[in-house]
Amino acid sequence: MIDVQNLSKTYGTFAAVDRLSFKAEAGEVVGLLGPNGAGKTTTMRMLTGFMPPSAGSARIAGYDILNDSLEVRRRVGYLPERVPVYPDMTVQGYIQFWANLRGVRDARRQTERVLESVHLLERRKTLIRNLSKGMRQRLGLAQALVHDPPVVILDEPTIGIDPQQVIEVRQSVRALGEKHTVLFSTHILSEAEQVCDRVIIINHGRILAQGTPATLRQQLQPGDHLYVQISGASSAAGQRLLAEIEGVQQVQPQGIGFHVRAAVRANLRGDIAQRVVQAGYQLEELRPVAMTLEDIFLDLLGREEGA
Amino acid sequence: MNGTWVVFRREVGQYFASPIAYLIAAALLLVTGLYFNADLTFSVGTKPAEPALIPLLLSFAMVFCAPLLTMRLLAEERREGTLELLLTAPVSDGAIVLGKFLSAWFYYTILLALTFIYQIILVSITQPDMGHTMAAYIGIWLYGGATLAVGILFSAITENQIVAAFLSIALLFILWMGELIGQIITNLELAEVVRQLTLIGHFTSSFAVGLIRAEDIAYYAGITALMLFIAIRVVESNRWR
Repeated sequence: MIDVQNLSKTYGTFAAVDRLSFKAEAGEVVGLLGPNGAGKTTTMRMLTGFMPPSAGSARIAGYDILNDSLEVRRRVGYLPERVPVYPDMTVQGYIQFWANLRGVRDARRQTERVLESVHLLERRKTLIRNLSKGMRQRLGLAQALVHDPPVVILDEPTIGIDPQQVIEVRQSVRALGEKHTVLFSTHILSEAEQVCDRVIIINHGRILAQGTPATLRQQLQPGDHLYVQISGASSAAGQRLLAEIEGVQQVQPQGIGFHVRAAVRANLRGDIAQRVVQAGYQLEELRPVAMTLEDIFLDLLGREEGA
Repeated sequence: MNGTWVVFRREVGQYFASPIAYLIAAALLLVTGLYFNADLTFSVGTKPAEPALIPLLLSFAMVFCAPLLTMRLLAEERREGTLELLLTAPVSDGAIVLGKFLSAWFYYTILLALTFIYQIILVSITQPDMGHTMAAYIGIWLYGGATLAVGILFSAITENQIVAAFLSIALLFILWMGELIGQIITNLELAEVVRQLTLIGHFTSSFAVGLIRAEDIAYYAGITALMLFIAIRVVESNRWR
């Protein structure tokens, strides 16, 4: 549904987006994850036909974003980061305007349908200037959906609204995946993890990693992370003991136990258990620690900056 | 074409949704009413009432009014960020600019129509030269379109409405003043060229005296088309930033 090939956007010598390639299948919710200034918005602006790419190409629903820009724009719903509205219009007038502009048949009924779906139908006569921030966000979403586009592109839809509304917006995005292909950007990792089928991590306009949240965690977790809790030994003694085991790279006190980071090798856990018992202590707990995307992300960013 | 129509309808709605549109209309009728009244009392027993009275007044007033009527149209879209949504809608940039221009011209046409009330008063008390008046109205209608197109252009250039208004007033004033410059140039050919380039050079000595000439129509249509063309290019340039 979305097929991006070596998409680039350069300003002078600065590459905002640098040879980006990815695909999104129909019905997939794909998250673009990256810190501010990573090139998320620029990528989205190219895909929505707002600005042309400097190099590379992309196809949306089979149409080229440069050669068939109008066809692409008909098939994309877009919510920019700072939800743009006309404050002096009514909720209904605003949505109907976008429906008409995008050539929706039966714009009035479609407007009511989409307002119903974002729970703004009873507010349809309200002037937009009187809406709360969360309502505006939902209005922006309604605007992006009124022409029932196969592809929906949302730029940081959860920024600046309260936690309850964040949860609602996440649920809406999740639900959109049933009928639409969704590309949405965020810099909050747990959000990407909750909402997306697939996450693409970008920084400095390049893809650092992509995959499902689960595979990303598996692939990128460098080495084994274990939580070990020992009784009968002082903290220092326990730490020394664990650090001596072959393959262990780092031991950090964590709560009443230790966070152990080690190279992946066979029988590591067996060795740890054996050594602890041999030293006359008791092994209370030994379990793998799953890294969150947060950790992976920071790790990736760190590695990139170091390289 | 659909895009032009949808944008046009929204903008016309915006003009009339705000009380400002009605205030402007009321102010216009107050000013032109006073002016008309003064002309009537002055004319009694000495000369016929001036047939092109209101159009002549507007030929100067539009230098300041056209920018005020148009400054919002594109500058606000840019400031509010709605331009980004408009430019990702399946309509051409030209359709957006054209729709906005037509809405401003439509509103101006309504304002102009309101001043017909003075003709109705004149008809009821005397026998005015209606042909002369109609020519002047057609002239000021085209003249107004050209000044509104200038306003649209500057509204496209900046996101600050005040700057947009100021710049278009400056350009319109130069186009208007050119007449005066033409009058003091001693080289006759050069003076004629300068005069042919100005807004009122194509109004005061033709439409305002009851003449409808193709060259004057072509001049206003040309200015309008040129300004709109540049405005469309400017809007398009938003995509390259």
